[in-house]
Amino acid sequence: MFPAPAKRDGVLPGFRLGLGYTLTYLTLLVLIPLGGMILMTGKLSWSDFWGIATAERALASYRVTFGASLAAAAVNALFGLIVAWVLVRYPFPGKRFVDALVDLPFALPTAVAGITLATLYAENGWIGQHLAKFGIKVAFTPLGIVVALIFVTLPFVVRTLQPVIEDIEAEVEEAAASLGATRWQTFTRVLLPGIFPAWLTGFTLAFSRAIGEFGSVIFIAGNMPLISEITPLLIISKLEQYDILGATALAVVMLLISFVMLLVINLLQWWAANRHSKSSEGDAPAEALAPGALAEARP
Amino acid sequence: MNTRRATAEPRWVRLLLTGVALGFLFLFLVLPLIAVFWEAFAHGAQAYWEALQDGEAHSAMLLTLTIAAVVLPFNIAFGVAAAWAIAKFEFRGKSLLTTLIDLPFAVSPVVAGLIFIILFGAQGFFGQWLVANDIKIIFALPGMVLATLFVTFPFVARELIPLMQAQGRDEEEAAVSLGASGWQMFFRVTLPNIKWGLMYGLILANARAMGEFGAVSVVSGHIRGETNTLPLHVEILYNEYNQIGAFAAATVLALLGLVTLVVKTIVEWRMRKETEMLTADLPPEKTELPPSVATERP
Amino acid sequence: MSIEIRNISKRFGNFVALDNLSLDIPTGELVALLGPSGCGKTTLLRIIAGMETPDAGNVLFGGEEATHVHARERQVGFVFQHYALFRHMSVFENVAFGLRVRPRKERPSEAEIRERVMGLLKLVQLDWLAQRYPSQLSGGQRQRIALARALAVEPKVLLLDEPFGALDTKVRKELRRWLRRLHDEMHISSVFVTHDQEEALEVADRVVVMNRGHIEQIGSPDEVYSSPASPFVYQFLGNVNVFHSRVHGSWAEVEREGENTEAGSIAFVRPHDIELDLAPLPGGMTAVVRHVHRIGPLVRVELEHEAEMIEVELTRERATTLDLPLGKTVWIKPRQAKIFAADTAKPADKQPFLF
Repeated sequence: MFPAPAKRDGVLPGFRLGLGYTLTYLTLLVLIPLGGMILMTGKLSWSDFWGIATAERALASYRVTFGASLAAAAVNALFGLIVAWVLVRYPFPGKRFVDALVDLPFALPTAVAGITLATLYAENGWIGQHLAKFGIKVAFTPLGIVVALIFVTLPFVVRTLQPVIEDIEAEVEEAAASLGATRWQTFTRVLLPGIFPAWLTGFTLAFSRAIGEFGSVIFIAGNMPLISEITPLLIISKLEQYDILGATALAVVMLLISFVMLLVINLLQWWAANRHSKSSEGDAPAEALAPGALAEARP
Repeated sequence: MNTRRATAEPRWVRLLLTGVALGFLFLFLVLPLIAVFWEAFAHGAQAYWEALQDGEAHSAMLLTLTIAAVVLPFNIAFGVAAAWAIAKFEFRGKSLLTTLIDLPFAVSPVVAGLIFIILFGAQGFFGQWLVANDIKIIFALPGMVLATLFVTFPFVARELIPLMQAQGRDEEEAAVSLGASGWQMFFRVTLPNIKWGLMYGLILANARAMGEFGAVSVVSGHIRGETNTLPLHVEILYNEYNQIGAFAAATVLALLGLVTLVVKTIVEWRMRKETEMLTADLPPEKTELPPSVATERP
Repeated sequence: MSIEIRNISKRFGNFVALDNLSLDIPTGELVALLGPSGCGKTTLLRIIAGMETPDAGNVLFGGEEATHVHARERQVGFVFQHYALFRHMSVFENVAFGLRVRPRKERPSEAEIRERVMGLLKLVQLDWLAQRYPSQLSGGQRQRIALARALAVEPKVLLLDEPFGALDTKVRKELRRWLRRLHDEMHISSVFVTHDQEEALEVADRVVVMNRGHIEQIGSPDEVYSSPASPFVYQFLGNVNVFHSRVHGSWAEVEREGENTEAGSIAFVRPHDIELDLAPLPGGMTAVVRHVHRIGPLVRVELEHEAEMIEVELTRERATTLDLPLGKTVWIKPRQAKIFAADTAKPADKQPFLF
């Protein structure tokens, strides 16, 4: 698959060793096991596979998984944008501490998050008891799944947006202001289009992570079939009933979704990296007319 | 930034946005973190301490540490090898390889566990053979190591590839032209240059290895005192309504998370300092050269 | 040690970097490889260093075959364009690196290493920086440390890739002269790559002008500037005016209508080789003053002659005496010109005036 000859046959050693080890390890640990799973579905006829993949309980689990993931990613997209903006732009005491804390969901084991959120949002929990007054139940409902997923995917949008907001040149905003744009117009017409690809990438990363999440969700979800059962849990319950083929069929569906998400993320990143190089011709006249350039052009 | 008047939001907007952001983070990050310790100490330090003295909790901690200790060297070797080949050489299929390295991040942990059941479980491809030869992989340490290797697969490589690409090949080529052998070049030039990036990747991989739940849960079999890692132990206690025990064990994992955050922040700070040093404006040229040249070298 | 390069070819994909190129570099010479970017000069340098392997041809060091000797064993000192100093090592350790990585049997003792390194740092006049790190040095200092590091392994050949490329003008000039003096002291065969003609002409014993993977001319700095072997060399070294199909024999006979005896030839005249006067010059032609630029000690006059622009350089005094208002018609006459047949001068057709 990967032909070895390097285009520049430089003097640096270790290309064969490095690539050889990489490919061997990748093949043994990732490609063969994933391939084995796909091979396993070969033991099912197409109609059996389709039957398992589209059974009522399976369809309900997709709805729960995707619905909750979408909701969590959307919440994080909105608040992630605000958090990233505040962290980059506004000074406040303890900012470095808060900045470091954003990565907590990456560092905190998901099981810990799961039992804690379940306790917090239970009807007698710190948050749950206040929500209960309004008749809102979070723990052991699909809403609980959304809460867990918000926690787990919180860093994605913030961390993809932060560097992009940092890179915005002050001059762009100043130019917009000098042309008479209000702050809101500057934000929606100048800044937002600039950070949009990164925003979308962050959203997709969060969504993709949410779909596969298991540890934090099962404690708070209630796990009622057809109502609050996520697909990964359905796979496990099939496995516990020794229905390995049923589990495999659902896992392949999830794997396909993972592939699609990976593709989308790659396309988004490619788009974010390349859209400026395409539109640069259109930008050129604007640059040529910058006041500095005019002054220099005159002899 | 304070002085950018024309492009700054009104004060009330800034206060509002800061308030919303901090409120959101408090609700979703700080409050759960406090709750872990609050619940663990709900019946006092004595009860907390006793809950941690449990023999099963100890064996779970030991197993978690063992898995991390086995997994991390593999992560180092793979991460360095992959980054070396990808960052320093040109070859066809490079972007496909880079995407494949990220693949385990996109796969659900449950699926990551399942694939090893399919290979090595009783009904799996090698199941019969393993039973015949009395080798246990699933519901035993090897299976848990494999599942953890899978979920931590990309961490080190992901950190090192962009870092080594940015550093280029010049320093290594200089080392070779000065007579260094391959390993001398690697240990004296490459490794010191990537040590912080490597450390960063390892911290993240370690946090994931010690905290992994879904993948390990599938292959572990939950045999108490034998194949229970600390996160799985937390689950069992919680399901038995042993709040104190579950949260006491959870504090250990939460501390692990906090230590990870602290070390990660320090490493990030070190890395930023180093890149700043490298990209900083050069000190002004001192023209100490002409007089000395003129006097010493006629 | 002498370097011989025999029939070297090198391609990168479809791009021909070097096309059957041969070159002899005698012992002790300081040679400049000069050419525009993409002409193959850096590739040639890297092949000499053993950093690249040629597709065909041989490299000989001191008459001995060295094409497939690994860079590690070539005993070549290589100074990288961006210095490639080891960022995590002090200046001292950078210079000591080549000694420390030797096999134990050949490795000098710690005291010898110390002595050698400090000696080299004194040579490049930076011994007071021994304990600093590369990031704390200025560009010029980094350059000299890179040189000291390359010299530490006592190379038989010293190769420098755009050695002054990343420095500002003033430091560049100082370092240039200093390198020249250093070379005169050490007398080690040296090759450096540059795209800056002034640099090549000032520093090198011999200049190798390269273009599109082959050599256009080899000669002393004076030779390549005053008698360029090809239109490319003429245009690459300094400003030049190009006249099409109007000249024949020598410049003394300037075009007269209908008298193009050598139609299809092209004449190259340097701007400072044109005489300019208000009074008619015998054999000269007329032109109109369009622009006058005062550039330091020089005055550059742009003239229009039959819709083509001609550039003339005068001294300040001469320009003041003449007093040249815009729109004035003046007489010009080249003092010397170089004429090439048009078919050898293809590149010139596209750009009548190259500056």
